[in-house]
Amino acid sequence: MKNSSLEASQKRMTILTYVVLILAALIMIFPFLWMILTSFKTVAESNAVDPVVIFPSAFRWENFRDAVTSLPFIKLYINTALMIFFRVLCAVAFSSMAGYAFAMLEFRGKKLLFGIVLVQMSLPSQIFIIPQYQMVAKMGMANSIFALVFPGIVSAFGVFFLRQTYMGIPKEIGEAAYLDGCNQWQTFYKVMFPLTGTSVAALTIFTAVFAYSDLMWPLVVNSDLNMMTLSSGLATLRGQFSTNFPVLMAGSLLAMLPMVILYLIFQRQFIEGIASTGGK
Amino acid sequence: MNNKLSPAARREETWGWIMVGPTIIGLVVLNLWPFVQTIYTAFCEHLGFGHYQFVGLANFTRMFQNAEFWKATWNTILFCILTVPVGLFLSLLVAMLLNAKIKFKGGFRTIFFLPLVCAPAAVTMVWRFIFNGEYGILNQIFGTQIGWITDPKFVMISCSIVAIWSNIGYDAVLLLAGLQNIPKTLYEANSIDGAGKVKQFFTITLPMVSPTLFVVMIMRLMSAVKVYDLIYMMVEDTNPAVTSVQSLMYLFYRSSFVAGERGYGSAIVIWTVLLIGLVTVIQFYGQKKWVNYDV
Amino acid sequence: MKKIPRIIAAVLAAALVLSLSGCGTSDGKTHLTFQIWDVAQRDGMQAICNAYTALHPDVEIEVQVTSWGEYWTKLEAAGESNTMPDIFWMHTDQILYYADFGILADLTDLYASEDSNFWTDHYSDISIGNASGSDDRMYGVPKDRDNVVLVYNREMFDAAGVAYPDENWTWDDMMDASQKIYDATGKYGYMAYNDEQLGYWNFVYQNGGYILDPETNIHAGYTQPATADAIKFYVNIQKNEWCPDQTFFAETTPGTAFFSNMGSMFYEGSWNLLSELKNYPDMVGKWDIAPLPKCPNPASGDGTGTISNGLCYSTAAAGKNLEIVKDVLRFFGSEEGQRIQGESGAAIPAYLGLEDSWTTEFAKFDYLIDTQVCYDQFDTCVQYINNASRRKWKSNVADEMVKVYNGADIDTQLTVMQSIADQYVTD
Repeated sequence: MKNSSLEASQKRMTILTYVVLILAALIMIFPFLWMILTSFKTVAESNAVDPVVIFPSAFRWENFRDAVTSLPFIKLYINTALMIFFRVLCAVAFSSMAGYAFAMLEFRGKKLLFGIVLVQMSLPSQIFIIPQYQMVAKMGMANSIFALVFPGIVSAFGVFFLRQTYMGIPKEIGEAAYLDGCNQWQTFYKVMFPLTGTSVAALTIFTAVFAYSDLMWPLVVNSDLNMMTLSSGLATLRGQFSTNFPVLMAGSLLAMLPMVILYLIFQRQFIEGIASTGGK
Repeated sequence: MNNKLSPAARREETWGWIMVGPTIIGLVVLNLWPFVQTIYTAFCEHLGFGHYQFVGLANFTRMFQNAEFWKATWNTILFCILTVPVGLFLSLLVAMLLNAKIKFKGGFRTIFFLPLVCAPAAVTMVWRFIFNGEYGILNQIFGTQIGWITDPKFVMISCSIVAIWSNIGYDAVLLLAGLQNIPKTLYEANSIDGAGKVKQFFTITLPMVSPTLFVVMIMRLMSAVKVYDLIYMMVEDTNPAVTSVQSLMYLFYRSSFVAGERGYGSAIVIWTVLLIGLVTVIQFYGQKKWVNYDV
Repeated sequence: MKKIPRIIAAVLAAALVLSLSGCGTSDGKTHLTFQIWDVAQRDGMQAICNAYTALHPDVEIEVQVTSWGEYWTKLEAAGESNTMPDIFWMHTDQILYYADFGILADLTDLYASEDSNFWTDHYSDISIGNASGSDDRMYGVPKDRDNVVLVYNREMFDAAGVAYPDENWTWDDMMDASQKIYDATGKYGYMAYNDEQLGYWNFVYQNGGYILDPETNIHAGYTQPATADAIKFYVNIQKNEWCPDQTFFAETTPGTAFFSNMGSMFYEGSWNLLSELKNYPDMVGKWDIAPLPKCPNPASGDGTGTISNGLCYSTAAAGKNLEIVKDVLRFFGSEEGQRIQGESGAAIPAYLGLEDSWTTEFAKFDYLIDTQVCYDQFDTCVQYINNASRRKWKSNVADEMVKVYNGADIDTQLTVMQSIADQYVTD
C-alpha cells in the first residue's frame, strides 16, 4: 500500500517534470520558430501589424537564395571554421601549459602572474579593440585569418578553467612520472595532459561559441567581405537589408547551422568534460 | 637567492616560467598594456587621433557630478540583480529537471543551448518583434498594452528576460555537470530516511553543487557588469526609455567611440573595473559561508 | 602523445603562411584599397574603379565595405597608426575632425593645372562646403548630393479625396491632409519623429531659424525665436491623433510604418528611395515623392528649404601612393566618373548637370517616381549642419531632445541644448 502511493507520487513527479520542461523548451524555442516562419515570408508579411501574420502564405525559398547570393557563405563558413580552429588550438595549447604550471609547479612570481590572468578576466573587451587593431595594422596583417585569430591567441578564461582541472588531479600522479625519469615537460604532455581530455572538450566549445559570436572585432579588423566570419557577415547584411527581415532571418538560420551540428557532435564530451572538472 | 633552491626546484621553476610564458606575454601585450594605457588616458583629455593632454582628475570630477553616470551605475547594478539570481535559479531548476530520469535529454539540452549559437543581431531582432508595444506577440497573448522596450518601467525587465534567455542553456549545462558529480548513494541513503524532496535539495543537492554554482555566479556577475551589446541592440538611442536602461559600458561606448572623448570614457572603464573587482572580492569572501568544498 | 609540439609547430607555420598572404604585391602593379560603408553602393563604386583601371592597367583598386559603426572606429584608429586605406568615403559629420587634424590630403589644387575654376564650375557651393575643412581648403572630391523629400501614399490620398502634394503645399496643407486621411481611412497622416536631418532641421531652416549661426558656424541657435518656434511646431505634431508618438517610433521607423500601409506620409532621404522600391515590390506604384511643404509664415525667407548633404572621396595626407591616388581621385571627380556613379543608381552625382543620370535605375521599375523633385529641390537647399565640435555635442544634444519627447519643458530643454552646443565655443 505504502509502496503504491510512493509509486504514484513518483509518477506525478515525472509528469510534472515533463510538463515544466516542455513548457520551458517552448519558451526557449519560440523565438527560433519565429525566425523560421519569418524566413519564408515576404517583407510585407514580416512586418505586417494589423493583423500580425503568423504563417507565411508560401514557402519562399528565394529568401534563402537571396541570403546566399548577397553573402559569400562558403567563404564565411571556411573563415569561421579556420578562426575557431586556430583559436581553439592556441587556447588549448597555451592554456593547458599555463594551467598545468599554475596548478602543479612552484616558481617565483606565480601569484603575481596568476593575478594578471584574473585581472584580464575582469576587463571589458571593448577597450582592447583599438589598440589590438593598431597592432595588427602595424604588422600589415589586417584582412587576414591571422587578424581574426589574433585576440584569441591566449585565453585567460582557459588558463583559469584548466588550472581548476589540474588542481583536481592528484599530485602523486605527476610525482610518480617524475620518479620514472620524465622531465617536467614530459610529465605534462605524456601523463597529465591526456587526463584532461574532457575539460579540453568543454574549453573547445566555450572558445568556439565565444569566437563565433564575436561581432565587432572581425568587422573592425577585416574589411573584405571574403574575410569576414558568419556573425559579422550577417551584420553587414543587416546594413544592406535594413528592413528585409525575411532575408536576414534566412541568413541567420544558415549561419547557425554549422554551430548546431558542432554542438550535437561535441555535446557528450562537453557534458562529461564539465562533470569531471566540477567547479573545484 | 637562487642558490637556496635545489637543482630540481630550480628546474621546476624554469619549466614553470617557460610554460606560463606564452600566455603571460600574450596577456601583457594584448590586454594588460592596453589597460595600462586606458588608466593613463583616464587622466587625460583626448585631443584627437591618439594625442592626449594630461588633465589630472578632471574626467573623474566630471563623471561623479554627472547624473547620467550615476543612473548608468544604478542601471548596471539593477541589471545584475535582475539577471544573476533569477538566471541562476532558473538554470539550476532546468539542470535538475534535465538530471531526472527522462527521455529526449539530448534534445532538451540542445534546445536550451540554441540561443548561444544564434547570431546576436538576429536574436535581438526577433525579441524586439516579440516585445513590440503596438503589435508584439507578447501583448497579444496577454491582452496587454505594455511598451516592453519603450516604457521606462519595463525596459530593464525586458532586457533582463533576453539576457536570461540567452544564457540559461549554458549555465544549466554547467550546473548539470555539477549535479552529475553527486554520488547517487547520497540520495539513496537519504531517501531511506524518508526525507522530502525539498529537504533533499537543501541538505544534499545545493551543498554538493555549490562549487559549480559559485564559478557560474562569478562568470555571470562579471559579464553582467560589463553588459553592452544586448542593450545596445535592443534599445536605440532615440528610444524614450534609453536612460532607464543605459549601462556603464553603453555610456563608455558613446563617450569613447561616438563622441571621441576617450579620457572620459576611460574613467568610466576604471569605475566599471573597480565595480567588478569589488563584486568579485565580496563573492570570494562570501563563498566561505555557503560553498561546500568537502566533496 | 607527441601531438602538442607538432600542433604548435603547425600553428606557427600556418600563421606564417597566412601572414605572407597578407602582403602579396609582387606583380608590379600598384594595389590600392578603397573603403566605403554602404554595401548597396559597392557595385557602383567598383564600376568607377574598373573604368579607371581599364585606362591604367598598372593600377588595381579593391573596394572594401565596412558597416557604418565600425567604419569610423576603424578609420580613426588607422589615422592614428598611419595605416589608412588609400581612398575612403568621408562624411560631413566627420570631415572637420579629420581635416582640421591634418589627417586628410589637401585636394584644392587637384585640377589646378588643367582648369583653375574646375570646382566652382562643376560643383555647387554646398558640395564644396561639405568637402571643405575649417580652413576652407578642400579635403575631398565631392561624391554625391542628397536632399529630403516628402513620400506619400497615393491610394490613401485618393481614398480621402485629397489632392496630391505639390510645390505649393505648406505645413498647413500637410496638417489638413493628415486629418482628412485619418478621418477617412483611419491611417496615420504625416509621421513626424525625433530626427535631425529627416526631421526638425528642415522645419527650422524653412522658418528662417538656424541650428548654427550661418555667419560664423560656431554659435548654436536653439533658443533663437524662429528656431524655437519651428522645433515646438515639429514636436507638437505628435500631439495630433493622426500622428503616432515617439514611443511608437522607437519600435517602428516611419519607413516601416509607411510601407506596411500604416501611415500616409513621411520625410525620407533621397538615398533610401531606390532600396525602398526594391524591398517593397508590392508597393511600387502606390507611392510617390513631392517637395517638402513650405513654411506658411516664415520669420524670414521664403519658407522653402531642405537639408542637403553629400559625401566625398578623401585620402590620407601621409599616404604612400599619394600621387597615383590623386590621379584616381581626379578621375572620380571627372564628368565620366560621376556619370558612372549616377547611372549605377548609387547616388545623385555631385557633378552639376549630371543629376538625371540617377533616374536610369528608377526607370527600370513599373512606376517611375518623380525623381525630378530631388533635382529641383537643390535650388532651395540648406547645407547639412556641422562644425568642428559637433562630434562632441551631437549625441548630448540628441539626448536632451529625447527628454523633450518625454514631456520635459521645451524652452528649458532648448536652453540646455544651446549651452551644450555652445560650451565648445572658444572666442
